[in-house]
Amino acid sequence: MRPIIAGEVRPIVEFRAVSKVYESRRALDDVHLALAPGELAFLVGPSGAGKTTLLKLINREIRPTKGEVIVAGIAAHQLKASRVAELRRRVGVVFQDYKLLPRLTALENVAFGLQVGDLRIADKEALDRSLDALEAVGLGDRGDAFPHQLSGGQQQRVAVARAVVAQPALLIADEPTGNLDLETAWEIMDLFEDIAAWGTAVLVATHNVEIVTRLQRRVLTLVHGRLVRDQPAGQTGRMAWLASS
Amino acid sequence: MAGVLVKGRFPRRRLVQTVATNLFRHLFQSAARSWARNVGGTAPALGSMTLLLVMSGLVGLTGFALHNLEQIEASQASLLHVYLRDSATDVEIASLQNRLTSDPRVAGVTYVTKAEALQRAQRIPGLPQLADASESNPFPASLDVQVKNIQDVAAIDGSVRDDLAVDELYPTSYDRGAYQRIQAVLLGAAVAGIAFLGLLGFVAVMVTMNSIKIAVHARRDEITIMQLVGAPRWMVRGPFVVEGAITGALAGVIAGVITFALTLAGISSASGAFTQFAPGVTVTVAGVTAAAVVVVGLCLGSGSSLISLRRHMET
Repeated sequence: MRPIIAGEVRPIVEFRAVSKVYESRRALDDVHLALAPGELAFLVGPSGAGKTTLLKLINREIRPTKGEVIVAGIAAHQLKASRVAELRRRVGVVFQDYKLLPRLTALENVAFGLQVGDLRIADKEALDRSLDALEAVGLGDRGDAFPHQLSGGQQQRVAVARAVVAQPALLIADEPTGNLDLETAWEIMDLFEDIAAWGTAVLVATHNVEIVTRLQRRVLTLVHGRLVRDQPAGQTGRMAWLASS
Repeated sequence: MAGVLVKGRFPRRRLVQTVATNLFRHLFQSAARSWARNVGGTAPALGSMTLLLVMSGLVGLTGFALHNLEQIEASQASLLHVYLRDSATDVEIASLQNRLTSDPRVAGVTYVTKAEALQRAQRIPGLPQLADASESNPFPASLDVQVKNIQDVAAIDGSVRDDLAVDELYPTSYDRGAYQRIQAVLLGAAVAGIAFLGLLGFVAVMVTMNSIKIAVHARRDEITIMQLVGAPRWMVRGPFVVEGAITGALAGVIAGVITFALTLAGISSASGAFTQFAPGVTVTVAGVTAAAVVVVGLCLGSGSSLISLRRHMET
């Protein structure tokens, strides 16, 4: 599979012949791909196709069985456990279940993410930056609310604010709209488009065919661990095959 | 006009202050809060660790006393009393004393007259009655030979037994194997004490590990978030180590106070007997032992946490 890179820009994420085998099951098989800065791409495929495995490889939650994974210039495939934090500070992560700390307010959740990642950031700076991030996701006035006082869409916005507050080079999202209604899902997608426009590469694993079809962004399709399609932005068509898969 | 470069005030100091504040908050403050929240789950670990540390303190003090006893026994065992015939002449006694004094294995020789032997016997429990029962002085004069190395006592004993000045029936105080018997008893006591402490230590470590496992489980989301936002490994694990250290230190303080109080009570209630059975155990020694118990508690708590984290926390 040929990696698609815009011009001469150095990719933020690069997979070179990556395979991952769990005991006897092959989760990823000889995957090649590259993602450029500012690019928004969707990772699609049926359940068990290897989407989450691919995201975990990027974030060095697991190591590949074979091949190389380069993230923001760091060789994630051979990174020692003691240096994983270094990589993760360059990658923002958004989950389907938000993963907010219930005893912290929205603002504190974002600031917590910022300060535990970098102890040199003082309280005032952390709060200022967190407030900026919350304003950017449209929740500047809900900073004092606890997660249980927010709707699902608002909680996901806080999670997005937390993921981007440290200005990572890459944002990965695993089924970020899985728990949201379609209207809220579109709001989250708008946010991802804004984040990509700021220069952060965004990779979204999703099952939502309508979003993938309408946004006309790059689509990477995984089936049984193999990257079977890599469609550039604007060429995704109606993707009826995706709905059927 | 040249521009004036305006620098921020004490930027490095401010940075250090910021890092210290964040460290304190994320390591110590969060650990203290979590410890207070999980105090119910920590109670068994606190109890078993306190019990272990009290036992450790008391066994430690007993070991110290036994060591001192062994030293006293060793010094007594290396003192050989060479009993002299009542009919021995001054020349014979002087000749033997000179021979022993010139022996390189001997540290010193003291002549003890019959009168001095009687006086000494009257200070030993049970012997005054024996002395009074007899009209004449039954205790012989002796040469008290301080041998440098306890291993040479048997050889010195052998070299004086046939001397003209030495009593034929009771030539010396040498008792073959007495010192070895004392050493065997002390060794047995030490092995039993260490085995007992090892067992208690194992139980305390297991219970503490379990309480940390519960704490890790309760804060799994927080740990996941910290790991995903790039918190360094030491920072993710640090609060749990501090939690373990809090439990250990608290157990240590309680155990230290109990150990100190028990020792103090022993010293003040039976001062004479206590000194005889536990030589060297003073208030200062009890204080040092109590402090050591606190330090051991601190190490035990944080060490158990570290082991538990290695087992139960994924990278």
